[in-house]
Amino acid sequence: MRVEEICEFVLKVCNGEGASDAVVTVTEVEETMIRFSNNEITISNALKDASAHIFVADREKKAGMGVADLSKKTLLASAKRVVTSAKRAPPGDVYAPLPKGPFRYDETALGQPRLEMGPRELVGLVRSAVDAGLREGAERMAGSLIARNGRVILRTTGDVIASAKSSSIEISVRAFLSNLASGHSTVIAASEKDFRPEEAGAEAGRLAKAAANPVDGEPGEYQAVLGPLVFADLACQVGRSASAFNVDAGLSFLGGKIGQKVASDKFGIADDATLKGSYGAFPFDAEGLPTRRTAVIENGILKSYLHNSSTAKKFGTQSTANAGLVVPHPFNLVVEAGDKTLEDMIRSVDKGIYVTNDWYLRYQNYATGDFSTIPRDAMFLIRNGRIEKSIRELRISDNMIRILQNLSSLTKDRKWVKWWEVEVPTLTPTALIGKVNFTKSSM
Amino acid sequence: MEDYLEMIMDLASKHGATYSEARYQSDTYESILLKNGMPEMTSFDVRKGIAMRALVGGGLGFGATNLMTKRDLKALVGRVVHLAKASSKVIRTPISMGQADIGKGTVEIKPRIGFDAVPMEARLDLLKEADSAGVKSAEAVGVKLPGRYVSLDALVTEKFVMTSDGARVHSIIPKVSVDAFLTAFEPQRGIVQRTFSLGESSGWESVERWDLPERIEKEARSLADILVKATPMKGERCDVVLGPEVVGIISHESSGHPGEADRILGREAAQAGETYLQRDSIGMKVGSDVVNVIEDPTIPRSFGFYLYDDEGVKARRRYLIKQGKIHEFLHNRETAHVFGVESNASSRSVAYNREPIVRMANTFVEAGDRKFEELLEGIENGVYVKNFMEWNIDDRRYNQKYVGLEAYRIEKGQLKGLLRNPIMEMTTTSLWSAVDAVGKDLEFSAASCGKGDPMQGIPVWTGGPHIRLRNIRLGGVS
Repeated sequence: MRVEEICEFVLKVCNGEGASDAVVTVTEVEETMIRFSNNEITISNALKDASAHIFVADREKKAGMGVADLSKKTLLASAKRVVTSAKRAPPGDVYAPLPKGPFRYDETALGQPRLEMGPRELVGLVRSAVDAGLREGAERMAGSLIARNGRVILRTTGDVIASAKSSSIEISVRAFLSNLASGHSTVIAASEKDFRPEEAGAEAGRLAKAAANPVDGEPGEYQAVLGPLVFADLACQVGRSASAFNVDAGLSFLGGKIGQKVASDKFGIADDATLKGSYGAFPFDAEGLPTRRTAVIENGILKSYLHNSSTAKKFGTQSTANAGLVVPHPFNLVVEAGDKTLEDMIRSVDKGIYVTNDWYLRYQNYATGDFSTIPRDAMFLIRNGRIEKSIRELRISDNMIRILQNLSSLTKDRKWVKWWEVEVPTLTPTALIGKVNFTKSSM
Repeated sequence: MEDYLEMIMDLASKHGATYSEARYQSDTYESILLKNGMPEMTSFDVRKGIAMRALVGGGLGFGATNLMTKRDLKALVGRVVHLAKASSKVIRTPISMGQADIGKGTVEIKPRIGFDAVPMEARLDLLKEADSAGVKSAEAVGVKLPGRYVSLDALVTEKFVMTSDGARVHSIIPKVSVDAFLTAFEPQRGIVQRTFSLGESSGWESVERWDLPERIEKEARSLADILVKATPMKGERCDVVLGPEVVGIISHESSGHPGEADRILGREAAQAGETYLQRDSIGMKVGSDVVNVIEDPTIPRSFGFYLYDDEGVKARRRYLIKQGKIHEFLHNRETAHVFGVESNASSRSVAYNREPIVRMANTFVEAGDRKFEELLEGIENGVYVKNFMEWNIDDRRYNQKYVGLEAYRIEKGQLKGLLRNPIMEMTTTSLWSAVDAVGKDLEFSAASCGKGDPMQGIPVWTGGPHIRLRNIRLGGVS
């Protein structure tokens, strides 16, 4: 059966078995990943998959099933099982019918050109990033390059018929000058024409070189210049915390704060899956609604959570087309730009720390936003408007809302970030935060 | 299935592979989730497919597909060999697979109570009962639990692992796990939160033994007590007793991860990071003489259980730290060859479409001989940290932070009032060196360990007995 026929067949079975609502999604993926370390390729990965997901509701009672085998026999058995499971399940707290289509989608987002690069070309792109970092003075380079083509076909009992092809290419690269001096950069793109892996390699190399001979930093409260990788990590926390599921579960520092001032006037963040040509753009959500731009925070005011139909009904509002059938999620986060240059920003700092990357962010309390995260790679002490020295061994131990409210300025340059630590593609400037608490090992 | 895997290896060999490995893996999940007492979607998932690795001209290729016709599998071999050849042309140090104790056999855990015997409705009823017990328990001391979820996952993994040098392993392993998150709220005292996980390689009998209603009732009451009674502490130097849950995360983060040989070689440098240990660190003193940290995949019922790894190598117990010294690293066949040792069977993959990499299984401090009361004896002024919420560690595994959740003042060898969020922020060697006594009450917690690119969250146990640390600088709530 063709994929479209698979969807039609499964939907008919679900209807016939008495489901009030059903969503059938078939996903096809072809992915090549090349991993490298110590300037050498360590492994190349090739993945080719096709799988289906069936979601069924019998009003408030819901069940879902992932299916790896797309044979008619397996699909029939799976559809029957999932409907039976939904009927037997205890009711959930709300019933929201699936959005009623059909819908019109942005034609330009439905069929991105396919990436056609073979192994040799991809290896060549890795080589260009590694060489660029080495030219900037790095001793060794590590990272991964991922090229992906995908297709999603969606049918729902809400008369949604949707299909979209997507492609993406990304590199995450880390440069080392010694075991203790390193820099990191990423470049992501929706097409090969916008992909510049050598820029990532060169930036990582420059940062590693600038971070040479680091000394231990001192704990305390500092102004903090947070580079795009760090601020993207924090922006992703805002995006995650804006999911209405997480708000409802107590997993969000934004809970109960709609309409409230949660950040500095200068801070705005939106989820925008409609941004043409961007990595995370996608025409429809998991319920088939056409995606849209949703302002989460504007001028420091919390404007909206991210919803699917069920969470929207529970919260008494409309879906923002961010389904996840259970957990709404951001697609493509965009932080508003400021008016500074990085140099302006550093010149304005009396006593501060410039952090270029972080990882391992963990909460003591999701609801209050108390957390810590560890700066990694290049980090610099700023004194009297100038970078004084490379430092290390510090931790940011603070609160999300406090950091957002203490934001002083943003750069006009922005960078797309997505890597191991930042899962949602995020366009972000560098941010200056008036006060950030840094701690370190006490023994 | 074995015929398909043999065909893949034969074809790879014809294409010039000097080593190949083929794996069929099927993961069948059944999941339920209760949020604030209400069921979310009941989920079933079947993920199955075939993975292979091929070493061609010193270049290593990995590929996977869930399209399992002969034609698709031949295409898979073509892609993997093509990738391996492309990388072999630009590498200076060819990759090799070292010798190892390669196995043939079948490993099957047969549940006493199969998951099929417990309908999803009955599982949801159990979670509802547990959730309700938690809410009532907190309400008894005037505390609400406004945000909470409990999930229960049952998983059966079947694998065939074959290698071109003779491994032939078939395994069927069931796993069951519970993840819980509780938020306690009281208007005058604010909010505290707790997450915890239970997990075993077993059937439904584990869930029965866990007694979820009682466990969540106790957790909720404890959280409510922390909210209502715990007092802030200032930073101070004192003796500290750590509970098994805290000892477990420390064993995992501050001994297991630093000892992964692929980190030492820099293979994870751009993602999960590197380690403060070097290739020549075997024998290096990192802790006091009473510190012994073990990594053991072979523990029956353990969440990280296996008897053969995903390269077909026979698993065994490993001492990572013995009498305070680095004793052994965790190896797969690739890293073992570089180090000139035999693989100790640490190669694992979380799904058919992920490459096998060096992983922990069950990491814990070896039990000593002290009773809990004996650890408290002689502490004039100290703190007992029973469990934790926030933690992290730098990517060289040297600077870590563990923030206690349920914690008590110790005065003259006796437990006193609850303390709010004591903070341990210290280096790995300072931490292990401060240990002066080890309890005999070994306990384990379940966790999902994240590593690899693409990310592979893999089931592990972390554990240990109570341990005592002397003269620690403990931070307090800011």
